[in-house]
Amino acid sequence: MTDLSERQQLSYIAGQAADARLNVELETEGMTLNIGPQHPATHGTLRIIVRLDGEQVVWAEPSCGYMHRGYEKLTEVRTYPQVTTLVNRIDWLGSFANEVPFILAAEKLMEIEAPPRAQWIRTILFELSRIANISLFLGDLGVQLGAVTPAFFAFRDREHVLNLIESVTGGRFHPNFDRIGGLKDDLPKGFVDETRRVMRKMRTYCDEIDDLLIGNEIFQARTRGVGIIPKDVALQYGLSGANLRASGVDWDLRRDQVVPMAWDDVDFKVWTHPDGDSFARCWVRLQETREATKIVDQLLDGLPAGPVMAKVPRIIKVPAGEAWVSTENPLGEMGYYVVSKGDLGPFRVKIRSASFNNISVAPWVLRGVYVPDVITILASLYFILGDIDR
Amino acid sequence: MPMKPKIPGLFKGLGVTLKTLGRTITQGADTVQYPREKEAPPTRSRGVIALREDNCTVCMLCARSCPDWCIYIEGHKTLAPPRRAGGKPRSVSLLDRFDIDYALCMYCGICVEVCPFDALFWSPEYEYSEPRIADLLHDKDKLGEWMETVPEAPELETGAQKK
Repeated sequence: MTDLSERQQLSYIAGQAADARLNVELETEGMTLNIGPQHPATHGTLRIIVRLDGEQVVWAEPSCGYMHRGYEKLTEVRTYPQVTTLVNRIDWLGSFANEVPFILAAEKLMEIEAPPRAQWIRTILFELSRIANISLFLGDLGVQLGAVTPAFFAFRDREHVLNLIESVTGGRFHPNFDRIGGLKDDLPKGFVDETRRVMRKMRTYCDEIDDLLIGNEIFQARTRGVGIIPKDVALQYGLSGANLRASGVDWDLRRDQVVPMAWDDVDFKVWTHPDGDSFARCWVRLQETREATKIVDQLLDGLPAGPVMAKVPRIIKVPAGEAWVSTENPLGEMGYYVVSKGDLGPFRVKIRSASFNNISVAPWVLRGVYVPDVITILASLYFILGDIDR
Repeated sequence: MPMKPKIPGLFKGLGVTLKTLGRTITQGADTVQYPREKEAPPTRSRGVIALREDNCTVCMLCARSCPDWCIYIEGHKTLAPPRRAGGKPRSVSLLDRFDIDYALCMYCGICVEVCPFDALFWSPEYEYSEPRIADLLHDKDKLGEWMETVPEAPELETGAQKK
């Protein structure tokens, strides 16, 4: 481990000291506290077992699996068009983004590529779901810290984005719009103008959150220096997405990877923050939402004309082979490893979802922190419970 | 290192809430008071599935492609009078039962998409909740009634290719 800040060293020493006190010197028993599985602030079930010494956490472990729905196994008994309805439900706040890597993997196996217009619309919907997802995080983080107002702002403005997604796909949370070889349908009339209007609104929302939450001294006192994840630890635990960028790693699959999507054709900045604390994670996500609105605006400017569906057989049989495709989803890297044996459905699918790795760093980062900071850190790590358990 | 802003962040935040308060007073709240006022869902919205019974040929494609098997179809073959005078009588399939269990349906729309004879449509109606879960099983008469609420397909954005 390199470059530990003073605060990290102190928290590490505090954790060690708490262990020593607990076991040897005073022969006190720590208190085991279950955070969860049910909690009004979580939409889902996650249990965190923490051992406390007074107000300090000496040991913590997230206990996953309360919401395990067996999607990897379910995909084996479903056909390819049916799988997209399942994977919608993994990360339910940014659901369109879940379909894309799976469809890309299947397209890779079939060696077809969606037409350019389909790729652009896919990218637009992908970024819209990112905005819908992260804008809720920005409000939710306030609730976890005791500020209720940002949550109402978040729900108010996320509604506009969800309405956009619904007007195109027909579903607010479960679009099921992506098809192998393209999209189900084209955009309805008036979508482009409406999206521009909503993107302006979302930028105003970002400014409001900036003034309301990020710039607030109490918020900064609660989040700065809390839950620091250094660069190398973040890489060891396989963090991805904004959590990794907040630790100072300049890594974004949208920019670094070549997939048949339209991100190569737009300019955007990948924001990083050197601190790696809760504040940095929140700040990076706020900048990302702003950046996503700019991406959508650029994509709308250059939307190519043409068909939205490539020529694919009516009954889709994917040739035998294996493919791995991952994309930069709202929560981080999400990937599908699809093994096909030439049947109507996949033989095996491995889903790599970002939240599972993001939560796995919790035992490391929760050591030695105080109980109120546990909530801050967990909220700033930002996981969707369905994304952890799948 | 905490920054030293010129205006304390607390007052900036209060300014935002005050501005919102002013907007709410002058322009009204964003909340839609549901039972009294309603928002019209977009035309593509997936609310309920409508059935045009005449078009259905009991091919079972929708029932087979449904991911959670919530469509129940029964039918029988019968002889219909020939199209032209002097021709052979035609064999047609008649629908006896077409039920969709909305308690199971996950509104994916695969059945509407696979239907080769345009017998199934999406309607944006959403007010059909029932106190008893068994009443969510809509039979073919009820599914036929939804046909009135099916909207026209929306016009497409510029640059889209006509099918």
